[in-house]
Amino acid sequence: MKISKLKKTLGAFSLEIEHLSLTPGKIYGIIGPNGSGKTTLMKLMAGLLPPDSGSIDWPGLTPRDITMVFKKPYLIHDTVLRNLTYPLTLRGLPPDPATVDHYLTLADLQKYRNAYAPGLSSGEQQKLSLIRAMIFSPKLTFIDETFSNLDMESAARFERLILDRQQKDPATYVICAHQLSHIHRLCDEVLFLSNGRIEAQGTTEDILLHPEHPLLQQYLQFVQMQ
Amino acid sequence: MLDLLDAELLGIITLTLRMTLMSTTISAILGIPLGLWLDRADFTGKRLVVAINRTLMASPPVVVGLVVYLMLMRNGPFGFMGLLFTFEAMVLAQVLLITPIICGIVYTASARNSERIHLFAQTMGANRWQTKILLIRELSNELYFAIVTGFGRAMSEVGAIMIVGGNIRHHTRTMTTSISLLRNRGEIDQAIFLGILLMLIAFAVQLLISLIRRKERRTDENF
Repeated sequence: MKISKLKKTLGAFSLEIEHLSLTPGKIYGIIGPNGSGKTTLMKLMAGLLPPDSGSIDWPGLTPRDITMVFKKPYLIHDTVLRNLTYPLTLRGLPPDPATVDHYLTLADLQKYRNAYAPGLSSGEQQKLSLIRAMIFSPKLTFIDETFSNLDMESAARFERLILDRQQKDPATYVICAHQLSHIHRLCDEVLFLSNGRIEAQGTTEDILLHPEHPLLQQYLQFVQMQ
Repeated sequence: MLDLLDAELLGIITLTLRMTLMSTTISAILGIPLGLWLDRADFTGKRLVVAINRTLMASPPVVVGLVVYLMLMRNGPFGFMGLLFTFEAMVLAQVLLITPIICGIVYTASARNSERIHLFAQTMGANRWQTKILLIRELSNELYFAIVTGFGRAMSEVGAIMIVGGNIRHHTRTMTTSISLLRNRGEIDQAIFLGILLMLIAFAVQLLISLIRRKERRTDENF
């Protein structure tokens, strides 16, 4: 999976990525201050935003293999169950009742299965959007700050789910989070973004525990102080 | 009063309902896709088109009636069709009045929500048609509101249909034009009776639509 000479300008902000390659089956983290371009980069990589120039190649993947979970998820005006099974319906796949129950239980949404989904609390909406993105097992998943709205127990449960799935059937995840603990527990590699540029990239340990780039050091210091 | 409850009155009610339903249906068929298209389309002059549509949303019925009259009058460009003072002419005038209203409401609703819906559909792997179906489903409340507004406007309209229909007895007389005529004749009691009847019919139609929608929702929840 390769990105080269990628450029995108949105008003006064501009994102420029000279080169980036991702290995399938790994979990990547993107960190960086607000306005550094994390969401824009994710949207570009997910094919949701056209680049001004440059190329993004996902060999062997079709748009149906890629999904993205947003900070503010969109839920269709329907029940929790319908929302969960929506990606399966689109693919003409009948929902397996045991799988549906498993995901609903995991997200503590079993009792709301027939409730109106947009009426859920924001944390419940996040959990629903996460399980909805997982139920059809995409090969590449972008998660944009979704963990930040979850309580610690739910976040830990989802982390465990992702790590378990990685052992059985590895997929690629790109996770953006401000809470470094999630990044630390989940990610194999981390990218540090600042002002629309990748300023540092390496293993999670290198980036979080032995940062060399001054901007990264400054960012980590600030995040840890909070 | 209530010799009015005779065959003539039933004819007037039937004609009013037929005209309103037909003009609302045609306007919905034209206005909904037009509103959705206008939101997604990107072309030079789009803002002008939107501004023109907003102006047409507030166009006075008598002006629309006059324009249709001039088009359909014997010496007018479409006079050869012989449509003036017919049911079809009244439907045409109403379609010209209601379509911009439905189109405008749908455009505004779509402009507010469609970007998120399209983005979401893309993340779920929806194809083009699945995205369109999702968009229509997600905007169904707004589409319903647009149609009901159009229906209300058609039901209560009098200026345009009076001009192009002529309020001809047993032919193009509707409930609103009858009320106008009765008032001119000083038959206020009968005018009030017809007015109340018109309100009741409008209420019954709205109630029926609401019931159908609620039933649809219950069916959904039973999935």
